Amino acid sequence: MLPALPALRDLLPRGGLARGSVLAVPEFGLLCLALAAGASAAGAWCGIAGVPEAGLVAAVGAGLDAERTLLVPDPGPAWPQVVASLLDGCELVLLRPPATVPVQARRRLEAVLRRAGGVLLVAGDWPGAQVRLRVITQRWTGLGDGHGRVRACCAEVTADGRGEAALTRTRWLWLPAEDGGVTLADPVDIPVPGTAVTRTSPRLRAASAG
Amino acid sequence: MRPDADPAPQRIMVVRCPPLCDPEASPAGPQAARLFERVIGAVTGFCPNVEAAELGVCAFGVRGPARYFGGEAVLASKIIAAVAEVGVESRIGVADGMFAALLAARRAEPIDPVNPAGPADPGGPADPGGPADPGGPAGPAGPAGAVLVIPPGGTAGFLAAQPVSVLADQDLAGLLKRLGLLTLGDLAGLPASDVASRFGDAGEVVHRLARGLDLRPLAACPPAHDLSVAREFDPPEPLAEPVVFAAKTLAEQLHAGLAARGLTCVRVQVRATWADGEESSRLWRHDGLLTAAGVADRVRWQLDGWRAAPADGQYAQGGIGMLRLVPDQVVRATGHQLALWGEAVVSDRVARAAMRVQAMLGHEAVLRPVTGGGRNVSEQVSHVPFGEKREPRLAAGPPWPGRIAGAAPGVVYPVAREAEVTDDAGRLVTVTGRCVLSAAPARLVIGREPPRRITAWAGPWPLAERWWDAAAARRRARFQLATDDGRAWLTVVQDSRWLIEAGYW
Repeated sequence: MLPALPALRDLLPRGGLARGSVLAVPEFGLLCLALAAGASAAGAWCGIAGVPEAGLVAAVGAGLDAERTLLVPDPGPAWPQVVASLLDGCELVLLRPPATVPVQARRRLEAVLRRAGGVLLVAGDWPGAQVRLRVITQRWTGLGDGHGRVRACCAEVTADGRGEAALTRTRWLWLPAEDGGVTLADPVDIPVPGTAVTRTSPRLRAASAG
Repeated sequence: MRPDADPAPQRIMVVRCPPLCDPEASPAGPQAARLFERVIGAVTGFCPNVEAAELGVCAFGVRGPARYFGGEAVLASKIIAAVAEVGVESRIGVADGMFAALLAARRAEPIDPVNPAGPADPGGPADPGGPADPGGPAGPAGPAGAVLVIPPGGTAGFLAAQPVSVLADQDLAGLLKRLGLLTLGDLAGLPASDVASRFGDAGEVVHRLARGLDLRPLAACPPAHDLSVAREFDPPEPLAEPVVFAAKTLAEQLHAGLAARGLTCVRVQVRATWADGEESSRLWRHDGLLTAAGVADRVRWQLDGWRAAPADGQYAQGGIGMLRLVPDQVVRATGHQLALWGEAVVSDRVARAAMRVQAMLGHEAVLRPVTGGGRNVSEQVSHVPFGEKREPRLAAGPPWPGRIAGAAPGVVYPVAREAEVTDDAGRLVTVTGRCVLSAAPARLVIGREPPRRITAWAGPWPLAERWWDAAAARRRARFQLATDDGRAWLTVVQDSRWLIEAGYW
């Protein structure tokens, strides 16, 4: 079991990333980076394959240790071998696979994953994933009508999956909070859908152009 | 600048063969190189660690050999005699530090047998260091030789009398002369910080030289033995496994050969020659820490990278004809166990995984991020190939005015994406040179994606970078936009075009 950030523990079966399992997030974003950050902060090596646009500054803000991160921006057509090699060295591999993954390659990687005892975090579709997480809604605070700046994001994240993860769980998170970390959102802070995004949350100072 | 902290340079003896140094001289090209090989062979008889500085010039640390052979002058005359046996005339200079020793070898003049009291003129009558007596006429017969020994401690004085034209950087030498600095002594008399601030790196280098300090320690080069090991496969071996097995034996031979001479190598070069004559060559970091199995692993990875179809395991090039392991950058084995990769954080397991991917995709394919400074989000992370030193391209230390504060984007596009931002009436939003917007942005269209309604925005924040450099200068106005799908975007307007640099989600 690899640890997850405290704010994400409620969403995951047994509160962490189970070794040998696949987690899938439909699209690459801060949620993927936050999931990797918890394991990295606890000392795990992370490989990021096929995501040249990963925002490392945000990831480091969430807790990722850049010292223990390997990037393979373009794994090319031999990506299953690349990911299998990375899984030999890294406890967690964040992968964005091509649009279609042959069943054979998927099975082979899952076998490597079980043998190596790592975690595969897929930004995309992966039919056999044990846990699926998804951002349903998100709202950025701090921007006004011609003034302010992006400060924090309140996001509703839902998780479901197979087996012990089958129960759907939903949490409101600051992803990221103003300090760059990931925290659970207070019900007071949650922006009500329909209200203006510019609504100043109680935590925020009045936005000013910078 | 802490000039006092520099250790005194080593005593260096330089053997210079004028006939081989001069490109116009009689033995040309390969013949000169072969002759020089024999010269080095002769010099190696006195000291095993001889560094070839350039064609016709070799050097070594003289302290030990001089003590053994009974003094620098005696050693020099023995070497001149030995080199004369090869049939080459030589000049020898001894001084503290490589630069001074090279100059001394260049200044050494053959002694006039008629007038032995009139020694070589080492650089003008004002030479305060003075040449030592070369220890009698060198070499009884054959080509003549000459020796100039600058006594320990006299190097600064010897250098001070040299004209600045001895510097390799002739442009700088000319400039120094026009500034009235005629000798190295004039230059050395200036404060190091002033020279560095006026002439930069080049000035710092020549100032160090003028003060008699060394630029770099002498790299000990191996004796003339070929330490590489090779194995031929006849017929060519079509499968990887037997080659990898042979590589393990080869690596054991290589390590034994190096260890027998007290050497180790920084890198090992693996060269595989295919049956069709093509050669695959790659350098692997060794640092004396790899086992034979470790070297064999690297051979396997390298060959795997060349294998066309992993299914049948056959090579498109028709098999491997020859495998050769060449030690690269051979250094004295000091017994130091440096952390592999220079950092303790990388475990062997991670290093193996990363290098296997590098063998498949190339050195630059596996990167390690380093966060640093910079005004643009894409500049704030530098990517360093695995195995190299992790240093940010832009330091995080200095303030970066104009940097966007607030949340960091989760998606940073390596190449900005084209977009269109229009106002309520559907006209493209423009920004004037004085940062005046034509209208409030209302819609964002990225490529073929459906248009997004802009719910909030901020900007423009102008950024004029590198205005002093016409080629790199760019003026941009940056905006943050929030759209109705809950996402936010970092966009820039440059040359009236909208580009998306990063996304917040």
